[in-house]
Amino acid sequence: MATFEQHIHPAPTTFLSKYIFSFDHKVIAKQFLWYGIFFLAVGGMMALMIRWTLAFPGEAFPIIGTMLFPDTHGVIPPDTYAMLFTMHGTIMIFYAITPILIGAFGNFCIPLMIGARDMVFPTLNMLSFWFAVLSAIILMSSLFTPLGAAAGGWTSYPTLSTVIGSPGVGQTLWALAIFVVGISSTLGAINYITTIIVLRAPGMGYFDMPLTVWGLWLTAILNAIFLPVLAAGVLLLIFDRVFGTTFFLAGAAATSGSGDPVLFQHVFWIFGHPEVYILILPAWGIVSDLLSFFARKPAFGMKATALSMTTITILSTLVYGHHMFTTQMSPLLTQSFMTLTMTISIPSAIFFANWLGTIWKGSIRFTSPMLFSLGVVFVFGLGGLTGLYLGTVTTDLYLHDTYFVVGHFHYTMAASVLLGGFGAIYFWMPKMFGVMMNECLAKVHFWLTMIGLNGIFMGMMIVGYAGMHRRIYNPFVYEYLQKLIPINTFITYSAILMGLSQFIFLYNFIHALLKGEKASDNPWEVGTLEWTIPSPAPHYNFKEIPVVKCGPHEFGNPNLKNGRDYQYQTEQLVEG
Amino acid sequence: MSFAIMYFISSAFADTHMSFWERISPPKDISVNGHLIDYLFHYTTFFNIVFFLLVCAGLFGFSYLYAKKRHPIAYYTHGNKKIHVIVATLIGAFVFFAIDLNITRMSSNDFSKIFANFPKKDEDVIKVEVLAQQWMWTFRYAGADQVFNTDDDVITTNDLRLPTGKKVVLELLSKDVIHSLFLPNVRQKVDAMPGRISKMWFELTTPGNYEIACAEMCGTHHYKMASKFKVYSPEDFQRWLATANQMALAENDLANADYFWGWQWEE
Ligand SMILES: [Cu+2]
Ligand SMILES: [Cu+2]
Repeated sequence: MATFEQHIHPAPTTFLSKYIFSFDHKVIAKQFLWYGIFFLAVGGMMALMIRWTLAFPGEAFPIIGTMLFPDTHGVIPPDTYAMLFTMHGTIMIFYAITPILIGAFGNFCIPLMIGARDMVFPTLNMLSFWFAVLSAIILMSSLFTPLGAAAGGWTSYPTLSTVIGSPGVGQTLWALAIFVVGISSTLGAINYITTIIVLRAPGMGYFDMPLTVWGLWLTAILNAIFLPVLAAGVLLLIFDRVFGTTFFLAGAAATSGSGDPVLFQHVFWIFGHPEVYILILPAWGIVSDLLSFFARKPAFGMKATALSMTTITILSTLVYGHHMFTTQMSPLLTQSFMTLTMTISIPSAIFFANWLGTIWKGSIRFTSPMLFSLGVVFVFGLGGLTGLYLGTVTTDLYLHDTYFVVGHFHYTMAASVLLGGFGAIYFWMPKMFGVMMNECLAKVHFWLTMIGLNGIFMGMMIVGYAGMHRRIYNPFVYEYLQKLIPINTFITYSAILMGLSQFIFLYNFIHALLKGEKASDNPWEVGTLEWTIPSPAPHYNFKEIPVVKCGPHEFGNPNLKNGRDYQYQTEQLVEG
Repeated sequence: MSFAIMYFISSAFADTHMSFWERISPPKDISVNGHLIDYLFHYTTFFNIVFFLLVCAGLFGFSYLYAKKRHPIAYYTHGNKKIHVIVATLIGAFVFFAIDLNITRMSSNDFSKIFANFPKKDEDVIKVEVLAQQWMWTFRYAGADQVFNTDDDVITTNDLRLPTGKKVVLELLSKDVIHSLFLPNVRQKVDAMPGRISKMWFELTTPGNYEIACAEMCGTHHYKMASKFKVYSPEDFQRWLATANQMALAENDLANADYFWGWQWEE
């Protein structure tokens, strides 16, 4: 067990050491949170511009359009459109979701939930954040280069992403930014993995860890293994672009030697499929915990849930070929990837059943974190099931690269992760900042977001099934897509609704920080370790390192006599 | 709130005579095997709906029944009794065997027996070479001599013409970046890549005018990389090809090295 001596260090005193170059996992978590929310806003704004173009081609983007695109009187030009969807994808994945779910909540929750005073490598932790900042600066600076930012899609397939298709320096900076963000995530991942292995409080076995920690742990493992793969891929891309190598060039495009553009797709998706799970696993973990916390009932089949998540993690490394069916791999390979992909549904169905099992016969408190968690069950159900069409090779021949794919992966990666992330913010706000957010506003935020995102992503799947393909500036140059104008308009209205409703969140968040109601130590009446200490958590976390005596989800034990319906993990399990 | 949504929906769909169902349907299937893909889509959708309704029944049903005010005391269980494990495993197994394996089997069959089962060497098929480049499609027919890259090849730009009633095989190559030939009416697409030839085959059923799109992001004007797609009856096709062949012989600019972009047909 933990053989590390964890000292209490004196609190930092200067502004720099306390807020900027802090070693404290809670401060780094908040830095990642601000960073992530900022980029969520940037990426969201880009999404609105994309949606505007699709619904109202040729019309000026309202309010800020003429300022941003003066040459075209506010209309988004086609090359800018390509930059927008490229940057939207890149930013949302690496600069919004990753920092919020993994950077902020990974950092905040892991030490607090396993009873540690900090991460095992605080310096790596700090470096992880500053590498992320460096990466963001590189990426954003690419917007101001002569030919603009990268515009080949977030997947940046060669040869489009080589100098043949993207001569500007923006694409090189994109690759460099991804490389640097890879360093950041890998540093964080090593830290998380090690911390969870060595710093668990005495008495805490792996199955006594909250499922949040399980999710973050599996995510960190995938990150540590697969981000270096992506980094290798973009490094070779940089070589091709800058030093004239031909790793990814072939045919007439290759002046000397001969590489293969499809090689990049293999490298990219070996990373890319696990990346989906890198993003979703923390949300799954958080939702599994929150469902139990607010159903006031132990997480149903907790071990099975943890093992299902582990199985999915392992399977996720074996299925990436389903992204490449249209490159015409050998039929045997195609069929193998299809079959392997389908096996993922076994563990998925099991933990889905466990989620429903958790709320079955519970005593559900519909707080805002609970609403968001139930929302995740709904949207992830849709996202997971619609994946079947894309894992199946023949339907994928039709649906690949259409908006059906866009709708599907937004349900899994965007909707589920976003709702999970919001649930986490509402839930840990008191422990993070010592204040409560307004429940009523939170619920309005939930319902508007939920209506908006289902309008958007359901709409996308519908237009995709009707044949509308991806990444097109103006779908209506095609006659067969003209009937989709009203549905595209509807999607855009839904996006505007969803975008506007985020202001409710922003107001609530900032209002809570400035003059929110002070939180008690355990406002949600939950027994995991972070709720045994004051709110907000002091810089040393635990005065005494806690000793864990029971699981994280001890609710509703009929033998409890002290008037509470829950037990702290530091308490001996009450038995009859 | 709901009023506002109703307003959006009704305003969005008010201006037409098309039913909502028609509007969201894929374009007309004009191929012999496209219905296999449509069928599998509907088959999957049926099971998905059943399964999702079950999820919703659990989600909304339990949320209603076990809300705190109706069910103040939770049932204390860790869900690790034998019966719980059996039920969860059964659900997992049911989904896998009843839905997934079925779909996989059907799709695998269709794929290996049809979509990836290219016509044999000696079969009489229409052969077309497709060159993709930013941002146009060029199509090459072998002409009267049945050999590609010779003087009498018929070449068209952004205009693919094919007959019904005969298998068609396309071979694709890209000159610059990766593109993807998407025939919505045939329910198929395949990437056109630099340095390696990809193939697609199908057989058409219905003459008419259709469209072809590029489905893979290929640069700024990706959205405009469209091609006309004209399907003839066999007689009309022969007539057109014969005329085009005459014109090709008269007009092909053989001095231009770019003319010989074709390749030896790969069997
Ligand atoms: Cu995948
Ligand atoms: Cu193209």
